[in-house]
Amino acid sequence: MKNERLNPVFMVLAILLMCIPVSAHHGNSAYDEQARVSIKGIVTEFVWTNPHSQIYLDVKDKSGKTVNWGVETNSPAILTRAGWTSRSVKPGDEVTIIMCPAKNGAPVAYAGSGDPGTKVIFSNGKELDFQDKTGK
Amino acid sequence: MKIQVGGVMKIFLLRTIATLAALAVPPLAMGQPAVRFDAHDLSGVWQLASGGGGQGPGDNFPSLTPWGQARYDSNKPGYGPRAAPGGNDPILKCDPIGFPRIMFAIWPFEIIQIPGRILMFFEGQHTLREIWMDGRKLPSDPEQTWYGYSVGKWDGDTLVVETTGFNEKTWLGAQGQPHSDQMRTVERYRRVDATTIQYNLTIVDPKTYTRTWETEPRLIKPRPGVEILESFCVASEEEEFARRIRQPAAQTGK
Repeated sequence: MKNERLNPVFMVLAILLMCIPVSAHHGNSAYDEQARVSIKGIVTEFVWTNPHSQIYLDVKDKSGKTVNWGVETNSPAILTRAGWTSRSVKPGDEVTIIMCPAKNGAPVAYAGSGDPGTKVIFSNGKELDFQDKTGK
Repeated sequence: MKIQVGGVMKIFLLRTIATLAALAVPPLAMGQPAVRFDAHDLSGVWQLASGGGGQGPGDNFPSLTPWGQARYDSNKPGYGPRAAPGGNDPILKCDPIGFPRIMFAIWPFEIIQIPGRILMFFEGQHTLREIWMDGRKLPSDPEQTWYGYSVGKWDGDTLVVETTGFNEKTWLGAQGQPHSDQMRTVERYRRVDATTIQYNLTIVDPKTYTRTWETEPRLIKPRPGVEILESFCVASEEEEFARRIRQPAAQTGK
């Protein structure tokens, strides 16, 4: 799924992007932050570490070959304030991740508080995003 | 059809309307006094509000000296107008963020006021900054450190903090603004209402900038309900993250 058209949801996201500070602490220039791309796969690892947590998942490409993707996300502190725990994602979970892909085409991506609209969707329909829930 | 409203019902309706009105109208608009606050009490969890400059003191810096220009050119940020994948931001190796860059980072911090000192406990890298409030002077020949040596005093309702004694290893912001070991800073914190601290930062660094830099004023806002969590930068974990994600994302020619 690639949101290239100016649909209302995308426009809202674009406005949010202008209003909310980018929350990667060193910059996200390696990723295409204008894109929101969906990948679906089976989680192989959830790394809950500072300053970047990571989700790894096996994704089948168009040819049926399995590729292990790595998705960079926020620090545990920021994830905690977004409602996550270190057990929110577990190996074996089937998930869809809406993310910003690397510009160079490598199977790595960013999904986190700096890019509204990125999120994890579980097979039961439950969703986890990265936005602060503490009501600052 | 005319609806008759009895006395008890009339009182109930009026009270309901009054309650709804009170909920809908901000207290100030109703002429009620603003929330009281002590201008000399900055304690609590705060965070810099978004604003000009982003994660740094901004790009409106004075002209660079030749030394400053060389440093600026050699700094390769991943953020701001010169952003590029990869880069050499010192914090990518978990170097201390340093002052003043920590003030502009994305994490909350807690101000703790104790006799003789004000402590700033930053979530970013779980860092404690000390500001001496016991009347001491700045050291004339300070050691070089990541956060410098800070002394503060109250000027009316403004907390004025002077800092010196920096090493040259940190950036002023995520955009790669440089500084030297000659840098001195003056901060002014003024609590203007219960939920706002005005923050002004002045940077004096003649080795790097041709004149004093009055950075863009920023606001610091409270973070109710937020606790400072553990956010160390762990070099071994960061190296592994770089190997698995950052470096593949930054590679060219794919």
